[in-house]
Amino acid sequence: MKRFLSPLIAMAAVGLLLVGCTTTAAPRGSAPVSGGTLVYATGDAEPTCLDPHVGGNYPQALVATQYLESLVSKNKAGDIIPWLATKWTESANGLSWDFTLRKNVKFTDGTPLNAEAVAANVAHLQDPATGSSTGYLALQKVTGVTVVNDLTARFTLSTPDSALLDSLSQPWLAIESAKALKRSQAVNCESPVGTGPFIVTKWVHQQSISLVRNDKYNSPPADAAHTGPAYLKAIQWRFLPDSASRYAALQSGTVDVIDNAQPDTLVAAKKTKDLVAIDAPRPGASNRIELNSSIAPFDDKRVREAFIRSADVNDAITSLFFGTAKRSYSALSSVEKLGISEPKLFTYDQKAAAKLLDEAGWTQRNSDGYRVKDGKVLELNFPVSTNQSIPAEQSLFEQLQATTKQAGFKVDLHPLDLSSWYGALGANQYNLVSAPYTKVGPDVLRILYDSDGTKPAPSGYFANHSQVKDPALDALLVRAGETSDQKERASLYKQAQDIILGGYYILPLYDQQNHYLLRSTVKGVRAMPTVSTPTMYDAWLSR
Amino acid sequence: MRRVTLVLAVAVIVFLVLAALAPDLLAPGNPLAIHPLQSFRGPSFAHPFGTDESGRDIYTRIVHGTGASLLIGLAATAIGVGLALVFGLLAGLGPRWLDFGTTRFLEVLFAFPGLLFALLFIVIYGPGVVTSTVAVGLATAPGYARIIRSQVLVVRRAPYLEAALVLGRGPAHRLFRHLLPNVAGSLFVLVTLGIGQSIVWASSLSYLGLGAVPPAAEWGAMLSAGRTYISSFWWMTFFPGLFIVLSAISTTVLGRGIQQRGRLS
Amino acid sequence: MALPVAAAPRSSVARRWLPWLLLRLGGVVFVLWAVATVTFFAIRLIPGDPAEAILGGPGSQASAAALAKARADFGLDQPLPLQYLHYLGRLAVGDLGQSYALRQPVITVIGQNLGGTLLLAAVSLVVAAAIALGLAAWSAWGGPGASAVSSVLEVVAAAVPHFWLAISLILLFSTTLDWLPPVSIPGAAGLILPVLTLAIPLAGFLGQVMRESILDAMASPFVLAARARGEGSNGVFWRHALRHAAIPAIGLAGWAFGALISGAVVVETIFARPGIGRSLLSAVQQRDVPLVVGVVIVVALGYMLVTTLTDLADRLVDPRLRAR
Repeated sequence: MKRFLSPLIAMAAVGLLLVGCTTTAAPRGSAPVSGGTLVYATGDAEPTCLDPHVGGNYPQALVATQYLESLVSKNKAGDIIPWLATKWTESANGLSWDFTLRKNVKFTDGTPLNAEAVAANVAHLQDPATGSSTGYLALQKVTGVTVVNDLTARFTLSTPDSALLDSLSQPWLAIESAKALKRSQAVNCESPVGTGPFIVTKWVHQQSISLVRNDKYNSPPADAAHTGPAYLKAIQWRFLPDSASRYAALQSGTVDVIDNAQPDTLVAAKKTKDLVAIDAPRPGASNRIELNSSIAPFDDKRVREAFIRSADVNDAITSLFFGTAKRSYSALSSVEKLGISEPKLFTYDQKAAAKLLDEAGWTQRNSDGYRVKDGKVLELNFPVSTNQSIPAEQSLFEQLQATTKQAGFKVDLHPLDLSSWYGALGANQYNLVSAPYTKVGPDVLRILYDSDGTKPAPSGYFANHSQVKDPALDALLVRAGETSDQKERASLYKQAQDIILGGYYILPLYDQQNHYLLRSTVKGVRAMPTVSTPTMYDAWLSR
Repeated sequence: MRRVTLVLAVAVIVFLVLAALAPDLLAPGNPLAIHPLQSFRGPSFAHPFGTDESGRDIYTRIVHGTGASLLIGLAATAIGVGLALVFGLLAGLGPRWLDFGTTRFLEVLFAFPGLLFALLFIVIYGPGVVTSTVAVGLATAPGYARIIRSQVLVVRRAPYLEAALVLGRGPAHRLFRHLLPNVAGSLFVLVTLGIGQSIVWASSLSYLGLGAVPPAAEWGAMLSAGRTYISSFWWMTFFPGLFIVLSAISTTVLGRGIQQRGRLS
Repeated sequence: MALPVAAAPRSSVARRWLPWLLLRLGGVVFVLWAVATVTFFAIRLIPGDPAEAILGGPGSQASAAALAKARADFGLDQPLPLQYLHYLGRLAVGDLGQSYALRQPVITVIGQNLGGTLLLAAVSLVVAAAIALGLAAWSAWGGPGASAVSSVLEVVAAAVPHFWLAISLILLFSTTLDWLPPVSIPGAAGLILPVLTLAIPLAGFLGQVMRESILDAMASPFVLAARARGEGSNGVFWRHALRHAAIPAIGLAGWAFGALISGAVVVETIFARPGIGRSLLSAVQQRDVPLVVGVVIVVALGYMLVTTLTDLADRLVDPRLRAR
């Protein structure tokens, strides 16, 4: 019975969320009120640097959305819209792009936004001393930026890049004051200077970041609900890593907004009028388990398929997520328009799994019920990053461990801290792994499944964890990354995804979960359609 | 009243020992068996302590986890008392300079408050069941050592030991025939009191995410898994926590009971 | 600690106190040196490249040049004895190094957080002493029933783990009754639950210690004598028994300090309260070695300070100690 009820609950929940979004975006009957301090409690890790050029992870993006802005943004429909750049043109050969910048925009240190500033930012991202990872990878095809005139910047490229606008919309490529970037990295990390609606005033490590309103703000993205400075006078950005205390703090009104809301609290929040939920799945890849095809036993496609068939993902999601997460059958997030979904490939079927394993020669079973071939147990090493997988996800892996055991798989779960987890991947001793990857646009497929992605960097890290090495797939991804013909691009990405899904390299689970809970006194908060970080620009307090 | 609490404490300990030695007798189910569609059920007749996030029966898991949890407590106490015995005997029996050196060393160790020492140890060797057990053992050793040293000093000046010395008995004889038997009584009390505290410490480390890890049915690990759901499903944390508290209280009561009996006789 | 033989005439205060103070100071310096040395060599046992840890672990994709720069910046390319001497030299002037994870001087991080922990610990100590006293007074007056109940309460209180108590208090006072905030906010209201969490187990321990000495004292000749003189049981309790019981309780100060700091790690984490306990835990999770070492050394210093002060108090209160 519950099996049938849950999708209904899920649908009702989505409906509620949609209603919630429209009411918060356009409050009926009450005009926005200026003033007040909003307290935001984040469960993500505390950034080591507030400049998202340095490194470039999601916690940085969350807070940087409040004080930094990018050249372009995206609207709800997923189309690129103007932000700091008002228009842009691509040359016929695709090797240069001219961006026209918004007039009269000033950084909060008083310096103007101009083409020189854009050039300085790209140079900063590409300078090895900056230590950028996300922004650096996104600008791989960019050879430099030249100043055409004060408000026109020209990007020159080595090969055409159909993902350039998607890349530039991300907070990790936000535009900062060139004067501020010249300061030492330590200083810039403490107080980055942008054009955004808020200004970083103080960062007390391990406690909070204080932000105040930028009273001269005049550069909201095209899809914002108002113009001029933000309504809120200030934001207190607190670090509250314990999910239970974070929710309790929200319930009691000590904080106004929390992120990383756990599934059970989302259900509880729905029952009260005091709290509102925002569900904003992250773009890029779906959350999936990657099967390492480079070493035994997953070098055999039949064994990969057997594992996927014997993993009861749906029951696990039902039990752990209470309808807050929807099963994915795609390599891409549901917000990616070019993503394709193949539910048929992932049906739970123990009989089919048993048959596949028999065919692959894993015919014997030992006394514990695990399959054995040539004296070797069908054992799978699964390092789990406790920093990246939320508790519900770790429980999901435990449940998959139990269901795949029926088919005869012995899954060894190893919860590890981030640094040991990277170490385990670098040593190529894993059979299964789940790693999130956020990037705007389907170009994420190139990062995750191109043969080049299997080559470890000097540190030992690589992004292609399933270790797919397929020349046909590589060719498709390169062509898709270069063409600007939308139809051809869609077709190429579809073919690429067919290879990835049909080869049983991944077991898709759900979108990268990204749930915010706010007190109903907070109005106007929305998630940016780019990487789903919340923006407080339109937010106001009715209390 | 004192008698009643003692009887209750012994009853709890008997239950725990039974659970550790023959868990299937008290809870015939499989502690690792999942039933995803029966997850997060509150306490009921079928599941007296409710079910967890994977539909596993919490009562069964607690009973089957008793062995591991008690073992961690016992091992940590054994490490602590064992080290303390070495230090205490060295200080109490050795020459003056050895006593001086050992006492200074213990003083240095005392300057690391318990949990700090354990955390320092975990930084070096990484989190896990073994490390957290050893860490708790090491962290508690200085306290035990101080008690043992003072006991040894008292016994050393006792007339029967001086008599043994006069009779020309060797140090081994004095140690095993006279000293240890006389220190053994208070050692036993120390161990009994220590096990409960060690379980509390080890579970604190597990709670902080530095000890045993799920899906093991160890109490600290169960707590750590349940803390995420504390606002919605209290039983996931309450019952494992209750057993930690109960074992700590009953061992304390038992230890005190033995101590008092020793004093009266 | 061996005390100096003070054969000096009683008239000279300086002569009487100076050797004791010097010896005591020497002891403090010795213990701090030993703590610093133990931690310095202990952290060399950590597997992996410290330069990599500085740059964020093996996943940080650090280049060889960046690693070399980090090694040079943190002096990791020098021979070990030289590193040790540099470390001691910096320590002597109060420089605890730079936190890997926070990119701030360790001393700044500790400075920002120490106040919160000290306030929490001090208030908890007062509350714990009050609870322990209340229970002791109740058992002294309430007859055998009260004595038995309060002794059970003490045992239970002493055995309850901090985290379990904290969760129970949050469930009761925040989630159910909605009286108090579940996370620490500035002001008195935010202090109540963390203080109760720290104070209750401590009160259990203190109560157990004080009970024994009070019971001993109540049966001792001087109390009997006081009663014979016709003093009421009130007066006997407050004037004699309690003073007698306070001495072993004060002797526990060093231990109580350690218990409070250990407890603060858990309490500050659960209530998201700024303090060195919370800093320490996150430093352990991120393997931020300089911060861990810095906190350990500062805590050791605090412990030495507390024990020295209690010794001093003992000497002032108890003239017999001075004569020795």
